[in-house]
Amino acid sequence: MVANIKDKAVIAGVANTKFSKDSGVSELSLAAQAIKGACDDAGIHPSEIDGMATFTMDTNDEIEVARALGCGGLTFWGRSHYGGGAATGSLHQAVMAVSTGMAECVAVFRALNGRSGHRFSSGVSGAITTADAIHWGWYMPYGLLTPASWVAMFTQRWMKLTGISKDAFYEVAHATREYAVNNPNAAFYGRSFDRAEYDAARKIADPLQLFDCCQETDGGSAIIVTTPERARDMKKPGVAVRGIAQASAPDQEQMTSFYREEFAAIPEMEIAAKNVYEMSGLTPDDVDAAVIYDAFSPIVLWQIEAWNFCGFGESGDFVLDGALRPGGRLPCNTHGGQLSEAYIHGVNGIVEATRLVRGESLNQPKKNIEHALVTSGVGIPTGGAILGKLD
Amino acid sequence: MTPEEQKAFEDKIYAFKGRKVCEATPAKDPVNATMIRHWAEAMGDTNPAYTNTEWAEKSARGKTIAPPAMLYVWNQQGITAASERASNAQSELVQLFNDYGFTGVLGTNVKQEYFKEAAPGDQVFMEMVIDNISERKNTARGAGYFHETVATFSNQSGEKLGTQSFRVLKFIPQDQPAAAAADDARLEVPTRIPSPRGHDNGWWWEAVDKGKVMIQRCSNCQTLRHPPRPMCGECQSMEWDSVESKLDGEVLSHTELHHPKIPGYQYPLVCAVIKLGEGTNIVSNVVGCEPSDVHIGMRVKGKVEQVDEKNMLPQFYPA
Amino acid sequence: MSDYKTLRFADVNLGDKLPALEIPITAALVVGGALATRDYEPVHHDKSAAQAAGLPDVFMNILTSQGLMTRFATDWSGPEAVVKSLDIKLGAPNLPGMVMTVTGEVTALDKSNGVVDVAVQGENNIWGMHMQGTVQLALPEAG
Repeated sequence: MVANIKDKAVIAGVANTKFSKDSGVSELSLAAQAIKGACDDAGIHPSEIDGMATFTMDTNDEIEVARALGCGGLTFWGRSHYGGGAATGSLHQAVMAVSTGMAECVAVFRALNGRSGHRFSSGVSGAITTADAIHWGWYMPYGLLTPASWVAMFTQRWMKLTGISKDAFYEVAHATREYAVNNPNAAFYGRSFDRAEYDAARKIADPLQLFDCCQETDGGSAIIVTTPERARDMKKPGVAVRGIAQASAPDQEQMTSFYREEFAAIPEMEIAAKNVYEMSGLTPDDVDAAVIYDAFSPIVLWQIEAWNFCGFGESGDFVLDGALRPGGRLPCNTHGGQLSEAYIHGVNGIVEATRLVRGESLNQPKKNIEHALVTSGVGIPTGGAILGKLD
Repeated sequence: MTPEEQKAFEDKIYAFKGRKVCEATPAKDPVNATMIRHWAEAMGDTNPAYTNTEWAEKSARGKTIAPPAMLYVWNQQGITAASERASNAQSELVQLFNDYGFTGVLGTNVKQEYFKEAAPGDQVFMEMVIDNISERKNTARGAGYFHETVATFSNQSGEKLGTQSFRVLKFIPQDQPAAAAADDARLEVPTRIPSPRGHDNGWWWEAVDKGKVMIQRCSNCQTLRHPPRPMCGECQSMEWDSVESKLDGEVLSHTELHHPKIPGYQYPLVCAVIKLGEGTNIVSNVVGCEPSDVHIGMRVKGKVEQVDEKNMLPQFYPA
Repeated sequence: MSDYKTLRFADVNLGDKLPALEIPITAALVVGGALATRDYEPVHHDKSAAQAAGLPDVFMNILTSQGLMTRFATDWSGPEAVVKSLDIKLGAPNLPGMVMTVTGEVTALDKSNGVVDVAVQGENNIWGMHMQGTVQLALPEAG
């Protein structure tokens, strides 16, 4: 049993920068813009920020961000590791800081020039000799160098075990794209695709093709996390963190946990799910919408199973029933996801989950969403959270 | 070379302008389906006009044709070229260039025009003349002369099939050590990215360099582990030795990599997670079969191979 | 036979782009291409000869480049097209391990004889331009 910090921390402000393929500005600028946007959303001045949380992968030093924004001093900063596994991980840092009183107003951020700067698709390289590079050394010489290739290896086996076909991948990718079509800040605003285009798209790493893969984006996203008391005085209705968890599982590697008894599985996400449900006192039936980390289309399916919306091997039928669509059982990635809005390492997903609960999501504006799930990346140490309305 | 020497040399080479390299000479073989198919396979050219008789008979042409780009191929001497090459105007010209230090050779342009498509059964005749020799040029490769040969191709009925003009630079290779060294660095062929080697993994890669794939074993509880780590996760012992894998394996999963293509890697490229007979899993490549033949549950047998200039790696073949 | 479509002259517009073709350069392609064109120059099949000539590995012969360029053009046009000419300027060598991307664009149309000019370039991912030039194709009239 993990410690219970249910409803001890509240999201009071969220924002994204403009997303693009070439921001023309520094990553520091993107971070500052995103946090300023989140402050405006919450109706606070940046000087009220006293804590920061981000990814180890983020290049922006907290103190530089603080100086750029005019935050003043900080009493807390913390970073979360493992790429997209840090999406709710950085939120987790902020929630812990606020719930323990280490800070009262924490800015969670992630800002990157993911397209015009370093691109994930360019693969890992052997130019450095850290422990990290030694890990990649078991894969690089064979050509297994990119996130798509690592995920493809899991996917191929998972398809064999479950019999789930690319029909389900298409449904995930297409449902997500249809949401982006309505989102002016999405990369694929106004641009749909059909099954023929999906099937004809460039092969990346079997069985993944182009539309199964997220984009690379320049942009930033930020979230202001504060106490329930202060949140009640801010501009927007607060969104409480009902439950949150981080998890890694035995024999965990970063994207390459190929040495488990059955590796076509994400036990770390199952642990996170169990702990989040336990902390929040909620069940899958209480979750009305979700933002499920979608660096690649099949990983959404695995997570639907890990969070118990259906049983193992049933996610294909679940999505093919239209569950992810606007009127479905679990409207999902309603901003267009990372597949079609922007790849901000999942933090734009926390922004969307907040908006879902507030009733501000572009694609679910009138629907009453009591609880929204948001998750971090898979194949790595990961996590998730359930957000709900602040009482 | 003094101006006088250069003038004397140029008088000699320009005398070759207009000289015949060969009279209309028949190719060793008539145009034939076998060589066409061999060519089409090598080029990956699936044009049915070349190799699909059934299609071709119903096409506007009514028969298969030779790929136009094979025009010059029919008269190539093949492997006997070196021993059978008769002295002719071209070989004399080349020899003259070489004697004066213009040993470098670089084809720069080739232009072919096609007037009539050749078909199986046709006999191709080629005649060739030395058409032009340029003035001395200073090129990036070094000082030299461009010379152009023009070949004319005809068939057994005397009909013209096409022409070819081929421009070649004969040059004095630059003798500048610094520039050459810089060039060498630029010309280095990319290889696969090797693993960095540190305390915990260096020994494993050194064994691979010697042709062996090792599996780390806890000296205390005998548990095998891969990839190597400093401590046994079962009993926390830091003492270990290793056993050599027999490299009998089974594919647990696989993926064919399509995009992006990384310099130094040969595609098609298949990566797989392989369960070794000893019980540990390893990631490697599956080679020696079509990528589409690789499947989960496939039995494979590995061996350590030199995969490029820099890397020894275990590679797995269908068992 | 409708399995293989051939473009009609009227189907083609100035500026039309041909579908790009990615060709992985393998030792098999370099050596196999040389032998299929009966080119036994040692630099195309013997690495030590290629190194003596200043290159790190065997490299593609010209006749293979010619073959690949016409293949690229007729893959697009279809098999009833008649290749009228091929004009290539050669650049950096193609060596095993490289990937050559071939692209092309329609640059001229001659109504009088149904001939289209396709400008083609083949660029490898390491040293850049391997070949550039023009393929002329005579396309059938409509119908």
